Amino acid sequence: MFKLKSLDGSQRMSTQDLLQVINEAVAAGETEFHIEASGQHDIGGPLWHPEGKDLKFLVKNPGQRVGSMCLEGTEIIVEGSASADVGWLNAGGKIVVRGDAGDTAAHCAASGNIYIGGRAGTRSGSLMKHDPLYAPPEFWVLKNCGSFSFEFMSGGIAVVCGYDSEKFESVLGDRSCVGMVGGTLYFRGNASGISKKDVKIKPLDQEDIAYLDGKMDDFVTSIARSEIRDELSNWSEWYKVVPLRYEERSKTSQTKILPFRTEEWVPNGIFSDVLKDDFSVIGLVTTGVYRQRVPVWENAYYASPCEFNCTASIPSQRRYNLLREGKVEEAYKLVLEYTPFPGSVCGAVCPNVCMEDCTRKNLDISVQIGELGTYSKDVTLDKAAVPKGKSVAIIGGGAAGLTVAWQLIRQGYDVTVFESDSKMGGKLEQVIPRSRLPQQTLSAELKRIEDMGVIFKNNTKVDKEKFSEIRANHDAVVVATGGHKGRVIPWPGHERIIKGIDFLKGINKGKSPKVGKHVIVIGCGNSGMDAAVGAYEMGAEYVTCIDVQRPAADAKEIAHVEDLGATLMWPVITKEVTAEGIITQDNEFIKGDTIIIAIGEVPELEFLPEEIIIEKGHLKVTGDCRIAEGVYTAGDAIKPGRMVDAICAARHAAAAVDAYLTGTAYQMQPKTKIDKNRLSTAYFKKCHSCDVPKADDDHLRCISCGTCRDCHMCERSCPENAITRTLGSDGNFEYASNANKCIGCGICAGICPCGIWSMHANKQPIHA
Amino acid sequence: METVNTQDITVNDLPWKIEYKTDRCTMCGSCVAACTFQAIMPAVERRSVTVSTGHRPEPSQRHSAVLMIKQQNSIENACTGCGMCEKICPNQAIKPVRNPDSRFSLLARKGGSPIKRGGRTSLNSGRTLDNIIVGRISQMTDPALDSERHTFDILAPFGRVLMPHELPLSSVNGTLNLTAKLPPVNWIYPIIFSDMSIGALSTRAWEAIAMATAYLNEKHNMPVRMSSGEGGMPVKLLESEQLKYMILQIASGHFGWNRIVKAIPKMKVDPAGILIKIGQGAKPGDGGLLPAAKVADHVQAIRGVPKADLMSPPNHQGLYSIEESVQKMFLSMNAAFKFRVPVAIKCAASATSVSVYNNLLRDPYRICGGFFIDGIQGGTGAANEISLDHTGHPVVSKTRECYLSAVKQGRQGQIPLWAGGGIGLTGNAAADAFKVICLGANGVFLGKILIQLLGCVGNEHGRCNACNTGKCPAGICTQDPRLVERLDIDKGAQNIVEYMLALDSELRKLMAPIGNSSLPVGRSDALVTTDQAIAEKLAIQYVC
Repeated sequence: MFKLKSLDGSQRMSTQDLLQVINEAVAAGETEFHIEASGQHDIGGPLWHPEGKDLKFLVKNPGQRVGSMCLEGTEIIVEGSASADVGWLNAGGKIVVRGDAGDTAAHCAASGNIYIGGRAGTRSGSLMKHDPLYAPPEFWVLKNCGSFSFEFMSGGIAVVCGYDSEKFESVLGDRSCVGMVGGTLYFRGNASGISKKDVKIKPLDQEDIAYLDGKMDDFVTSIARSEIRDELSNWSEWYKVVPLRYEERSKTSQTKILPFRTEEWVPNGIFSDVLKDDFSVIGLVTTGVYRQRVPVWENAYYASPCEFNCTASIPSQRRYNLLREGKVEEAYKLVLEYTPFPGSVCGAVCPNVCMEDCTRKNLDISVQIGELGTYSKDVTLDKAAVPKGKSVAIIGGGAAGLTVAWQLIRQGYDVTVFESDSKMGGKLEQVIPRSRLPQQTLSAELKRIEDMGVIFKNNTKVDKEKFSEIRANHDAVVVATGGHKGRVIPWPGHERIIKGIDFLKGINKGKSPKVGKHVIVIGCGNSGMDAAVGAYEMGAEYVTCIDVQRPAADAKEIAHVEDLGATLMWPVITKEVTAEGIITQDNEFIKGDTIIIAIGEVPELEFLPEEIIIEKGHLKVTGDCRIAEGVYTAGDAIKPGRMVDAICAARHAAAAVDAYLTGTAYQMQPKTKIDKNRLSTAYFKKCHSCDVPKADDDHLRCISCGTCRDCHMCERSCPENAITRTLGSDGNFEYASNANKCIGCGICAGICPCGIWSMHANKQPIHA
Repeated sequence: METVNTQDITVNDLPWKIEYKTDRCTMCGSCVAACTFQAIMPAVERRSVTVSTGHRPEPSQRHSAVLMIKQQNSIENACTGCGMCEKICPNQAIKPVRNPDSRFSLLARKGGSPIKRGGRTSLNSGRTLDNIIVGRISQMTDPALDSERHTFDILAPFGRVLMPHELPLSSVNGTLNLTAKLPPVNWIYPIIFSDMSIGALSTRAWEAIAMATAYLNEKHNMPVRMSSGEGGMPVKLLESEQLKYMILQIASGHFGWNRIVKAIPKMKVDPAGILIKIGQGAKPGDGGLLPAAKVADHVQAIRGVPKADLMSPPNHQGLYSIEESVQKMFLSMNAAFKFRVPVAIKCAASATSVSVYNNLLRDPYRICGGFFIDGIQGGTGAANEISLDHTGHPVVSKTRECYLSAVKQGRQGQIPLWAGGGIGLTGNAAADAFKVICLGANGVFLGKILIQLLGCVGNEHGRCNACNTGKCPAGICTQDPRLVERLDIDKGAQNIVEYMLALDSELRKLMAPIGNSSLPVGRSDALVTTDQAIAEKLAIQYVC
C-alpha cells in the first residue's frame, strides 16, 4: 500500500512531481495506491507493473484526465467527483468515479470500463472507439450527461441510466449523438435532441437486456449503489441508440419538390390565370405537337427555274419526270398544254431563256430543252369533249393569236382566226428566216392547230367595219395583230432606208429583195441579226450591224452573223444617211449601199373602234388582258416581245376569255422561283460534255427542281420511319410524314434533291 | 466548281464551329431536332473522287452522295455553342468548338443594328474576390466554432435600422415604451434571389425560383427572399401566403404594377419588401429591354403591353434628383403598403455610388430601407453588347467604399448595404457572399447562378448567351411553349434548394473558423490578399 498526500500544509505537489513519485513506486513493485490528490492531472495511466501485476488506485480529488491512457490491469476508484476528461483515451483500465464526472468523460476511450456514479458533463462519450483486437470500451453513467454527448462516437458501449434525472428534458442532454457512426448507446428515461440524421432509437431486444442485466451488478457494486439495482432494471424504461448504417444514411437533403408543388404551393401554379401549363417535361427531341419544326411535302409549290423563267410557264421538270417514268408520249404532249409551237418556238426561234438558270448548269450544262421541244411536233392533244357553244374570233394569225386559238378550241369554244396574209403564222411565217425555222416544222404545227378545229380565215383584212361585224357575230374577240409597221427615225436621208420587217417579209415571200455589196443594219436585236442573215442570203458581201447600245440580240444569233462575216459596232449614233452609207455623230463614215433598219415595229390598230385606248402606239390593257367589253388582246399589240412572251400573253388572254364567257373571275397566279439552297445537286455526277445524252434522255440529268421525282430518298432516310408514300386513286403519289413519329429533324428536307420538303415552325398550340 | 466570294459569310466567320464526325454519325436527326437556333441542318454532300486501283494509271470515278449534318453559314443562324447537339448525340459525333478566328463582331452589326445578347460582361471577368482569402483563422488565439453544431445567426436586415440614440424610447415608471413607430425591418437570409423579370425568364423558370424560395423557408427555415424583377408579379402569388417571401420590384418601365396595386386589398400578407430599381450593373445607364420575341400573350397581360420590343427608359421619368427620388418614390412605395413594408433602392455600381449612399444616409425621413449596389458582372436577359462589355463598375471596391464612408460617419448598418453582380460567378456563391460581407455588405443578391442551376449553359466565354433571342435551349429565357416545356420545374427548384442548403453549410464553414456566430459584416480583418493593389484599395491585409 502506497499512500500519498499531495498537500503538505500550503505546499502542493505539482502534477509532474506526483506522477514521478507514482512512477517510481510502480517501478519498485508497488501495486496499491491511495492518492489524496489536489487537482493533479493524468493520475492512473499509462502504467504497468514490472511483473505484470494489477495496479489499484484509490484517488480523491483528482484533476483532469484521471485514468487517461489507462492500461489493462489498472483499476482506479475516485472517491467523490472527478474533473474533465475522465478516462481520456482509456486503453483498458477500469475507472470508477463514485461521484460526478466533468466534461468529456470517456472521451476517445477505446477499451476498458468507465463507471460514473453521478452525472457526466458535456461531450461525454464523444469519439469513443472500438479496436477489434480488444473488447469494446464500456462507459456507464448512473444519472445523465450534458449536451453534445456521444458526438462522433464510433464504437463501444455507453449506458446512461437516467437515475435521479426526471427533471431534465433529456438524460443525454441536447444534440446528442451528432456524427455518431458506431457503437451502442443505452439510455433510460427521456431523451430528446438526438441527431436523427445519424442514429435511430430502438427498443431493447433480449441480447441488449442480457448485456445490461449481466453488467448491472458490477456497475452498481463498483459505484457502491447496489440498493438501486432493481430500480434500474425495469427494461421497458430503456432504449437503445444505434447509428444508422452507411447505407441508411441520406447522402442528400431529400428535397421533394413535387409534393410541395402539388400540395402546398399555389394550386396549379402561380401563372395558371394567364397561361396553361401542366408542368409535363419534354426532352430535347420530341415528336408530335412538341416538335419545334414540322415537315410539309410541298410538291410543285415552287416553280423550277425553267418554269419560272419561261414566260409561257412550261414546267419542263414535269416533262422529264414523265420521261423518267417511261411516259414518253405524255411527256411530249405536256408541253402542248402551254404552247402549240414547241417545235417552232422552243425548238427553233426561242432563245430558251428558261435555261438561263437551269440548276443543271451549275454542274455541267443545262438540259437540252429546245431539242426536246422538237420531239413534240408530231403529237397532239385530245379534242374538247363537250362543245361550249360559244364562239371566239381572233384577229391575227401569229404566235399570239394562234396560241389563244389553241387554248380556247381545246376547251370547246368555236374559234375563227382572221389573218390578212395569205398564210397563217404571222412573223413565224413571214419574217423569221427559214434558216432559223424550218418551214416544215411550222407547217406541221399550224396544221395541228387547224386539225384541232380552228377555222383559219386567211387573206382577210380587218377594217373598222369588218371589226364591228366580227364583234357582233362572236361572243368574244381577241385582237392579236402584232406589230408590223417598222419604225424609222427621221435622219436626213432616211427615205433611203429599208425597213427590216419589210425586207425579211420579202425574202420569205420569195421576192428576193435586192441588196448592195455593203449593207448596214441599224439595230442589233434579234430582228437586226435576222436582217443581216437575210442580207447575206440576198448576196451582200459585207454587213455592218450598228446600234446605239450593247447589242440586245441573243448570243447565239450574234455568233451566227459574225460567223457569216458581219461586224457589230456600238455605240454608234447615226447623224445622216447618204447614198454611200451612214455618217455618224462622230462624223465617221460607215460604208453601205443598202441600209436596213430593225429597231422594232409598232402595231397597226386603225381598225379598232374609238372606245379602245391606244397609248404610245400600243393597246392599253387591264390586268385581265381586256381592252373593251368582250374584247381581249395578246402579243406585240400590247408591247414588243419575244415569241415566248406572245405565247405567255396568249395563254393569259385565253384564260381571261374563258373566264369572261363562263362568268368567272380570272387572276394570274404569281409564281415563286425555288430557292436554289433547297436543292441537293450533290447526287448528280458532272457529265463530261461528250457524255451528254440525247435530249429525251436528259431526264437523267434533270434535277426536277421543286417537283417530286419520287426517288424515295426521304422515305428511306427518315430516322424515325415517319414518312410514307401513298398512291391516290387518280394515280398520283403523295408523301406524308406521320406527326406521331416525326421528330422534326429535317432530314427529309435536307436529303430531298428537289427541295420538296419544307420545315415549318410548329404553330400548333401545345396546351389546347 | 464552287462559287464563293471573299465577302460571303462562311462558317469560319462565326464564333462557334461545329466539329462533326461523319464516320461516327448515325443520322438519327437528334442534333438538328434539338437545336433551337437552326444552326445545323441535314444536307447531302457530294463525294466524287477519281481513283486508280490497278497497277498502272487506270482512272475510274467513284461518285456518292452522303447525308450529313452541316453548319449554317449565316449570322442569323450562327451556332451559339450551347452544346445541345453534343448533349443529345448518342455517338459523340458532333460538338461546337470555339472559333478563335471568328469575325462575328464585324459581321453581326448588319443592318446598322448594335449587337445584342444576354449573359454577363465577357471582357471584365477578372475577379477581385478570387484574390482574397479568409486568412484570419481562429487557431490557438480563440476557439473556432463548430460549423456543424454551433448555432449561427445568419440574418441580414432589409429595412432602415435606427441607431440606439435614435430609437423612440421612453422610460415610464421603470418600463421602456416606444413613443413612435419604428421603420419596418425584416431580418432575412443574407442572400436575395434577385431581379429576373417575368418575361426575361420563362414562367416555369420564374416559378421554379419562387417555389425554391418558399421551400427553403417552409422546409428548411431559411428566410430567403426573392425579388420579382421588373416584369410585374403573378396575381395568384400576390394573393397567396407566399407573398411574404417576395420583394416587389418597380423599375422605370413600371411594368405590371396595375395588377400589383389592384391586388393590394386582397393581400393576405405583406410582401417582404419593395425594391426600386434605378439601374442595373450589367447595363448601367440603359433601361430594361425585353425583345418582342419574348413578349408572349401572358407577358402582355401581366405587363399591360402589346407585342413589341419593350424598352424601359434609363431613368424613372418622374425623378430628377436623389432628393426627389427619396421624396417621391420612397414615400409612395412606403405609403402604398401603409408604412409596414421596407423599401430599398437598387443602383448600378458607379463612380458616384458613395455620394448616393451618403445622401440616402442623411435622409431625414429615414425611409430608405436598403441600398443595393449592382456591379458590372451582373447578368441580363438582353442588352446591347456595348453596354454589357464596356459600361459598369466592379461591385467589390464600391461596396467597401460605401461601407467605410458610413463607418466614418458612425452610420454603418443603418441603411443595409446589399451587393450583387457576379456573386457566384465561379460557382461558389458562399465564398463570394462571405467575402463581400466581411468587406461591409449586409448581404448579397444573385440571379445568374440561379438560372445556371436551372440548366442555363451560358458563360462569360461566349457560350450561348442567347437569352435575348427567345430561343433559349434550356427553356429558361424564352416564352416559346415548346422550349419552356423542356424545363423541369421541380428538378430546377430542387437544384436551387440543394445549392442553397450547401451554401448555408459553406457559409458556416467560413464563419466558424473566424469565430463569428453572426454575420461578420465589415470584419475585413478576416480577409487577406496576395495582391498589393487590392490590399491597399480595400484596406485589408497584404500577405505573400
